[in-house]
Amino acid sequence: MNVQIILAGIGGQGILFSSKVFSELGLKMGLDVMGSETHGMSQRGGSVIAHLKLGKFQSPLIRKGAADILYSFEENETYRTLHFLKSGGICFVNLESADQFNKSIMKFLKEKEITFRAYDATGAASKIGSIRSANIALIGYSAGTGLVPFKYEDLRSVLELVSRKKNLKINLKVLNAGFQEGKLLKT
Amino acid sequence: MRKTGQEEVRVLLGNVAIARGIVEAGCHVVTSYPGTPSSEIVPAVVEFKNELGLDTYIEWSANEKVAFDNALAASLTGKRAAVAMKQVGLNVASDSLMSSAYTGVIGGLVIISCDDPGPHSSQTEQDSRFFAMFAKVPAYDPSTPQEAKEMVKEAFELSETFEIPVLLRPTIRVSHAKQSVRLSPLKVLDRPANFEKNPERWAATPKYRLVLHKRLNETLQKIRERFENDTKWNYETGKSRGASLGIITCSVSFVSLMDILEELNLKSAINVLKIGTPYPLPQKRIADFIKRQKRVLIIEETDSVIESQIIDKSKVLGRLTGHIPLEGELDPDGIHNILADVLRELGITNLEKITDSKLDKLVEKLKLQVRKPTLCAGCPERAAFFAIKKALPKAIYASDIGCYTLGLNLKAVDTVLDMGAGITLASGFYQAYHQDKKDIAIVATMGDSTFYHSGTASLLNAVYNNARFILVILDNEITAMTGMQPTPGIGITADGSEGRKIPIKELIKGCGVKWIKTIDPYDIKKLVKLLKEARTYTQRKDGGIAVIIARHPCIIRYPEVCEDNPVKVEITDDCDGCNYCIDYFECPALYINEEKNLVEIDRMFCVDCGVCIDACPKGAIIPIEKQNKARL
Repeated sequence: MNVQIILAGIGGQGILFSSKVFSELGLKMGLDVMGSETHGMSQRGGSVIAHLKLGKFQSPLIRKGAADILYSFEENETYRTLHFLKSGGICFVNLESADQFNKSIMKFLKEKEITFRAYDATGAASKIGSIRSANIALIGYSAGTGLVPFKYEDLRSVLELVSRKKNLKINLKVLNAGFQEGKLLKT
Repeated sequence: MRKTGQEEVRVLLGNVAIARGIVEAGCHVVTSYPGTPSSEIVPAVVEFKNELGLDTYIEWSANEKVAFDNALAASLTGKRAAVAMKQVGLNVASDSLMSSAYTGVIGGLVIISCDDPGPHSSQTEQDSRFFAMFAKVPAYDPSTPQEAKEMVKEAFELSETFEIPVLLRPTIRVSHAKQSVRLSPLKVLDRPANFEKNPERWAATPKYRLVLHKRLNETLQKIRERFENDTKWNYETGKSRGASLGIITCSVSFVSLMDILEELNLKSAINVLKIGTPYPLPQKRIADFIKRQKRVLIIEETDSVIESQIIDKSKVLGRLTGHIPLEGELDPDGIHNILADVLRELGITNLEKITDSKLDKLVEKLKLQVRKPTLCAGCPERAAFFAIKKALPKAIYASDIGCYTLGLNLKAVDTVLDMGAGITLASGFYQAYHQDKKDIAIVATMGDSTFYHSGTASLLNAVYNNARFILVILDNEITAMTGMQPTPGIGITADGSEGRKIPIKELIKGCGVKWIKTIDPYDIKKLVKLLKEARTYTQRKDGGIAVIIARHPCIIRYPEVCEDNPVKVEITDDCDGCNYCIDYFECPALYINEEKNLVEIDRMFCVDCGVCIDACPKGAIIPIEKQNKARL
């Protein structure tokens, strides 16, 4: 299996942590991992993006129109990174409702047969008590929808491996909350 | 982490893989000065040291030259040593690099200089491989984290075999790439320090330097022979006789190209020669490859190091023939387009170029604001810049390298040249105007880590030569931009053990400065007043350079400082939407509500520092407590 994932957002939204989650997940799934991250000055409140390629790849960067999945933790960063998605790709956006999304771009996504899912990950994470875990809520949600090849149990054990001790409990709770909501949508 | 039998695989950042290579090579001493994209190497060595119970000596040095010399000395005692820095750090260490190429090494010495094509976080796009060529030391150029780790180990072997420093040049896309990397066992090398005196070599006079230079040239010839026969780093990916084009490539461009050829099904149409040892270039291998191709394209990042060494360029297309951009990063889409152009020019095939799509045009219409880097909410440097701009609005602002370069956004930074130039440009400006008998206000700004790096020589020179300006040291008690490395000012060393504290004030005093004041920049009013006093001092007959140490801990490293003493603010009806705070204070927690045309506070970002109270000319930002009291 080859999967190319783009993680997009702004500094402080846990992009690098999410990248760690998918890296370890890749290893767990028996896949090779390759990717690229933003560090340094661009992290000071700027756009942050991580490329992650699971499977047989040589280069760390994902090309325009090649990504299978885009996780975007902020609306505007979605517009900026949509070009990475291939036709037929999937896009998960941290957004209260899909109605908020730009109409003409939504139309374009339909033409390209890109699946679009908006989920209020920030809301879900805040409810459980940690706005900073919104990234995990969105990942959990994606697994719930069944649209991505990631198993809930695998994500759970990866979180156990990479979370800081004091965050683990909340992270697992948030993951589960996202997952359940995603599942609702599936049925 | 995944273990299969004896082999362990971990997903490692390129710089962590390099650290692992250093550890696996049994390296004894590691030194560095932080700088993107190299900063993660030393912390990773510290982690491996702790995980594996090693006794590696690791230091954050005061600057790159200091780091280089400390590593070199370890090598002269027979130990293995590595020194890491960003590419412009090698400029600082270049004096030592050039000389040590002649005198050589005993224990392996590996220099890691991380390049930043783009540039993402640097003042130049310089190619460190040219430095290897300039200094006449061999260079390795990895394409992936895994390769970087293996190359580090081989670089140590090569360095010891030929008694020469060896350079490893990862680019940012290797340093900050992530890959599942296979770990190997560690080498344990028992090397008690043993410096064998040999003044003829280690203290060579110019006459003997000529002899050393001759030896160096002979050594390089031997290394070139070794690289000619190397098949681990220099290899061809296909030997198709019917191929219509050959490509010579290296670093991350190689892996990008391989994925593109695979995707476009062009693997049999194009032969690729990958070069992992760009200097000294394996000339015979290159000539042999070129001979077997109709035309050859050279794709290398960032400059033309391989291309310029090629002797017969008659079949060669590259940067020198205008086929490769002269600046910027070669990303996969860029390489795709270069390939498309060349294949069309040579009449081989018509490959569609990657252009702006319909989507790009739709997104363009949204006119999204570029998210430019900005000082954090609560950053003490913002407070200092705001006060400087307010106290001396017409001054020349000479600044420096660090987070505070972003003082640009507050219009309080006029120059950023390199590490230490805040002070040297300020003194230079003073002398140029003073020569014309003109008195102007000049404010230099420099961070604490930058001052320790290269402030003292600049400052004592300015004092000695009677320059007059204000120097504001932005002392946040950490090296913030590169990831919170300790400074000599807080006296903690790289592995967390205690070092000796060097108070910045004593250094400044030692440089001969007579007027030194320390202040918390959060108190903007006081700082404005102090800056005006400082200006008067620079104009007094018996005056001179005035130094203000604006000390307040970095809000990211020490968040408790604000958390323990929060000053919650709100905006009153007195706000008339004049935008002054947005334009001149530029805090990410303040924004204009466009419907109401009034300023509001974004509580997501606000850290309750309360500094903005002094930033509003209308007095519309007030502490919540105060308002409650007024109501009572």
